[in-house]
Amino acid sequence: MSCHGNTSTPTLSRSGSVRVLLVGGPNVGKSTLFNALTGKRQRTMNAPGTTVELATGTWRSTGSGPSGATIERAIIDLPGSYSLLARSADEQVTADAVREVAQDPADPTVGSSVVVAVLDATTLARSLYLLAQVAEIGVPVVVALTMLDLAAEATDSPTTGVEPDTLATALATALGVPVIPVDARHRLAGALTGLDGMDELARAVDEVAANPRWVTGIAPPAAPACGCGGTKDVAGDGPVASEAIAHGLVPDLEQELAHAEALFTWVEQVVEQVSISLAQHQDAPAAAPSVRPGHRRTFSDRVDRVLLNPWAGIPVFLAVVWLLFELTTKFAAPLQGAIGQLVNGPLSSAVTWLLGLFGLGDGWLQGLLVDGLLVGVGTVLTFLPVMAIMFAALGVLEDSGYLARAAFVADRAMRSLGLDGRALLPLIVGFGCNLPALAATRILPQARQRLLTGLLIPLTSCSARLTVYVLLASAFFPAHAGTVIFAMYVASVALVLVGGLLLRRTAFRDVHAEPLILVLPPYQRPHLRTLGMSVRLRVGSFVHRAGKIIVATMLVVWVLMAVPVTGQHTVGDVPVADSLYSAVAGGIAPVLAPAGFGNDHAAAALMTGFVAKEVVVGSFAQSYAVADPGVVAGAGSLGEGLRASFDKSSGGHGGAAALAFMVFVLAYTPCVAALAEQRRLFGWRPTASALVVQLVTAWALAVLVFQVGSRI
Amino acid sequence: MYGRYMTLPESPLGAELRVTGVRLPAADAFRLNEMGIRLGTIAHVTQHAAFGGRVIAVAGSRYALDGRTAALIDVEPVASR
Repeated sequence: MSCHGNTSTPTLSRSGSVRVLLVGGPNVGKSTLFNALTGKRQRTMNAPGTTVELATGTWRSTGSGPSGATIERAIIDLPGSYSLLARSADEQVTADAVREVAQDPADPTVGSSVVVAVLDATTLARSLYLLAQVAEIGVPVVVALTMLDLAAEATDSPTTGVEPDTLATALATALGVPVIPVDARHRLAGALTGLDGMDELARAVDEVAANPRWVTGIAPPAAPACGCGGTKDVAGDGPVASEAIAHGLVPDLEQELAHAEALFTWVEQVVEQVSISLAQHQDAPAAAPSVRPGHRRTFSDRVDRVLLNPWAGIPVFLAVVWLLFELTTKFAAPLQGAIGQLVNGPLSSAVTWLLGLFGLGDGWLQGLLVDGLLVGVGTVLTFLPVMAIMFAALGVLEDSGYLARAAFVADRAMRSLGLDGRALLPLIVGFGCNLPALAATRILPQARQRLLTGLLIPLTSCSARLTVYVLLASAFFPAHAGTVIFAMYVASVALVLVGGLLLRRTAFRDVHAEPLILVLPPYQRPHLRTLGMSVRLRVGSFVHRAGKIIVATMLVVWVLMAVPVTGQHTVGDVPVADSLYSAVAGGIAPVLAPAGFGNDHAAAALMTGFVAKEVVVGSFAQSYAVADPGVVAGAGSLGEGLRASFDKSSGGHGGAAALAFMVFVLAYTPCVAALAEQRRLFGWRPTASALVVQLVTAWALAVLVFQVGSRI
Repeated sequence: MYGRYMTLPESPLGAELRVTGVRLPAADAFRLNEMGIRLGTIAHVTQHAAFGGRVIAVAGSRYALDGRTAALIDVEPVASR
């Protein structure tokens, strides 16, 4: 249906007769409204052919007719956009979805489509400009008016002091479409009094779906036509490619500017009409929106005097990042430990007991279920606290209004990589754990920036890798272990910078440092219910989409370890040394020989490290215990084993080989969970490409380190 | 077309200003236009940030601009007209 063919609006197979598209600018309360309308009946998905995440759901309400039947509508929360002349993949998805409705307003698979334009009452003019663009495409529109509480309290907003219903009535008269004041943030209180606007919004949407209404004063196209990549000009001129405009390639930019001016004129006319209407309203004699309100310092201005101060702003930002770091590591660790103990203890015992009841204990099936499936499920579950904490913390930062300030404060630091200042936050969190850091890329406004940041995060040295550094540095450089570990972190930062610059000059030439023009939302108290729903939705998406990959990988590892390669053992009852796992490690070891650690122990540890870096040390211990059961006890004994095998495989340059091994651990895939999360966020193709690049880079760097180190 | 009195970073905190020129690349100026910062727009600088960044108030909204962008926006004090 889409002219582009790659960003068509996702169709909900199970839906009612109406499809609703939520359209609005960033931070206008669109997602809060979506959460309030759908409740738990929602899920996330990527827009077809893109890495842009959309939330889709079912909006259910009781009909107003005598039967009082429940009405269901399919609803899609489109990415926030200032304009339908898209400047990013996210904005393009929104623009395409709206145009698609215009081309096929009554899709037989879902019925009628209605756009709910979400207008922020505190920034009415900017919101009306987007509405004008939506309206001129010719789609049926209902307006949801948000942020009325903030508008009423603001000291310098054009709508200061205006009663919500009065403003809505005045706007509805000016626009010719239903305008519903909504208060999704305080829905619980609003629902009790019936003042949250949700029922009115549902009625308006159903009414417009049955009898389409268009915004007055804006001329829609005479006949539905493909408006690919641009808006239809009010004056009837042809569409202009929006991406081309974004890159300044349009020869008739003047024409497009003139068209925008026509829309601004319409916006000013609407504002003027509303002003007159409000001035005539007997209840609001002094409440008319002023075209040019006087400036008075707001609460947010006073807070920004501290948080955006040239000297205090950066320390405050670093303190916020440190807090996130602590939350996802130290705070989450006990919760993860408790879940791990529950799975490995009582849950495993219960499954084993249950299998025993049916006479299936002590066989390969028990191994598959307990050591394969349950371990996989346990791994997913242990990540839940980290993910939930990260999503909640990001939600608080976003909801409170600080996240936009963070982007502003950190902008200078990320500019050389062409990234938004917000990218610094996930990159720093990556030094704690790559998984929540990847999840945190969602705060970036553009898909390409999210992808670039997501590819750099695995190069940040997570705390799990620290255990490997400590073991090897202590074993090979006991007098300088601290310096060696510090050098690994310096190498990690260097890898991020070099990797970022290289990617920008190759696959990400389209990502460039754009002028930072950021709307700062007013500070407000995060809404717990909305926050909880958002966390639930995102954690659910992680379990659903990344969890399956993690569990599948764990099962593959179990199969490799359970299948014997000698005839002396049975499936599921085989020492690691005689397993297929060990045979594969033996096959990989020669590839690692140029890096000085071409031995079975190191190869097996790296294979295990692909699953999780936390188990590399355990793999070494297990591996040496198998080779020589006398050396497993104590770190010193393990160190002796490591020195012996690394010295042997490196021709007497064990130290250089150990350094090379640490560099390999730093640069290759962090863990299967991070890989699964990358796949969830960015799709298979970028993830597979990144995996290959990471392995090749890790090998090349390790060889370089060993070859140079062994000659010094 | 306009008199260049000063740029945003040169403007004092809290002063009422009128945007008289935007010397950004065409596409960026267009987006600024769409976001509500246009020639003739009345703005107030509400915050000086690090590296020349500025926060301005326009019709109730707050916009953060990095130092380089702010330096390409020309303004004049409203009182001087």
